[in-house]
Amino acid sequence: MELIERYLQAVGFWLPNRQKDDIIAELSADIHAQVEEQETTLSRKMNQAEVEALLKKRGRPVLVANRFLPQESLIGPVLFPVYCFILKVVSLCYLVPWLLITIGLMIANPALPANQASPSWLTALATVSGHLWTAAFISFGTVTLIFAIMERVQARSNFLEEWSPSKLPPARNRNLIPRFSSSIEIAVNWVFLIWWAAYAHSSEILIGSSVRVSLHPQWSWFYWGYFILALCNATLAAANLLQPYWTATRATLRLLSDAVGAGLFCWLMKANILAGIFLPNVSPQRAMEVTQAINHWVAAVFPVGVIIAFVVAATDIYRIIRVKNA
Amino acid sequence: MNPDSFENLRLELRRGCLVLAVLAALRREQYGYTLRKTLSKHGLEIDEGTLYPLLRRLETQGLLASEWREEDKRKKRFYLLSPEGADVLKQLLSEWKSIDSAINTILKEHDHGTH
Repeated sequence: MELIERYLQAVGFWLPNRQKDDIIAELSADIHAQVEEQETTLSRKMNQAEVEALLKKRGRPVLVANRFLPQESLIGPVLFPVYCFILKVVSLCYLVPWLLITIGLMIANPALPANQASPSWLTALATVSGHLWTAAFISFGTVTLIFAIMERVQARSNFLEEWSPSKLPPARNRNLIPRFSSSIEIAVNWVFLIWWAAYAHSSEILIGSSVRVSLHPQWSWFYWGYFILALCNATLAAANLLQPYWTATRATLRLLSDAVGAGLFCWLMKANILAGIFLPNVSPQRAMEVTQAINHWVAAVFPVGVIIAFVVAATDIYRIIRVKNA
Repeated sequence: MNPDSFENLRLELRRGCLVLAVLAALRREQYGYTLRKTLSKHGLEIDEGTLYPLLRRLETQGLLASEWREEDKRKKRFYLLSPEGADVLKQLLSEWKSIDSAINTILKEHDHGTH
């Protein structure tokens, strides 16, 4: 019967002191009653293997003890859905942008290991993932700690019980387009159009009286591209103002317009669009160096532009799917 | 259907019923092991890991009274329904009968609807 004593001792280890003796005495009585009954049925003493099987069936000591303890949780069922929501927000609004910006900067910056010869890519990847884990650990850990504290405070004050249905946000139709945002969109596009037509129509731009910027001949493509795009966006916004809900057609048009805009923007970054800068008191050679440096840095940020374009396109595609499934 | 889902639903359904069965069985004084046997004899298997914590909880709530006594040269803890427990049992049985009746009515209505 030494096995039974060992089992009871192992269960007792996990029990609080003030209840331990009582629970162990009752468990002991139960186990011994079961053993006696089986021995009566067998008409002999139980052997070691049979006692072991009996104890194993009762379960691991820590689990047996756990059933006697009050059920406790770090974050209870009331706060848990909010906790999960905040973790998703932290992931999407902090970790994902952080990762994208870090990757973009590593690709763009020649001083960083990502742009050096192999095997620096692996080193860079390891560095990024290391930083990501640290950022995730700190942000998730902080959120968990705050919610654990809220759980304790909530348990005492029941502040979550004090709520009113009339204070809930109004019911939301995700396919509805607020007229206010359509109005703003029309205004922004027309202001842009006027400014664009007034100042950007020529490939020679005069800034003040002495600084002249000369653009690549390709500039006319960008000028007319963005001009037409702004007109289309203003028209689409006007249609949205009259019929303030997304339809599959208008959602697809928005995708097309954003795709063209993003495509032009990415092309602009790679086009070495700045042909020359003419500054007073600056030698032509120095001005050329500045021009090349600006073109180089604009081109270097190209991956960030591509990432933003993909995010915008994904949002637009999601809107089309949502409208079609509505 | 996923067998795990059924098992979870079955356990959920049994949980409340076990409280009722334990209170009903303890109208007669018993200790843990014989209580387990009594329930098992009537078709309600319950493992000791569930029974003893349940007995403690019901005792803490004042629905059961217990005392340690020696029987057959071994100390055992005997449980008996307290007067408060008897009142609660009465109310729970009434609730149980009302649920049973409601479910039967729903099932009969459905049967009439389908035939």
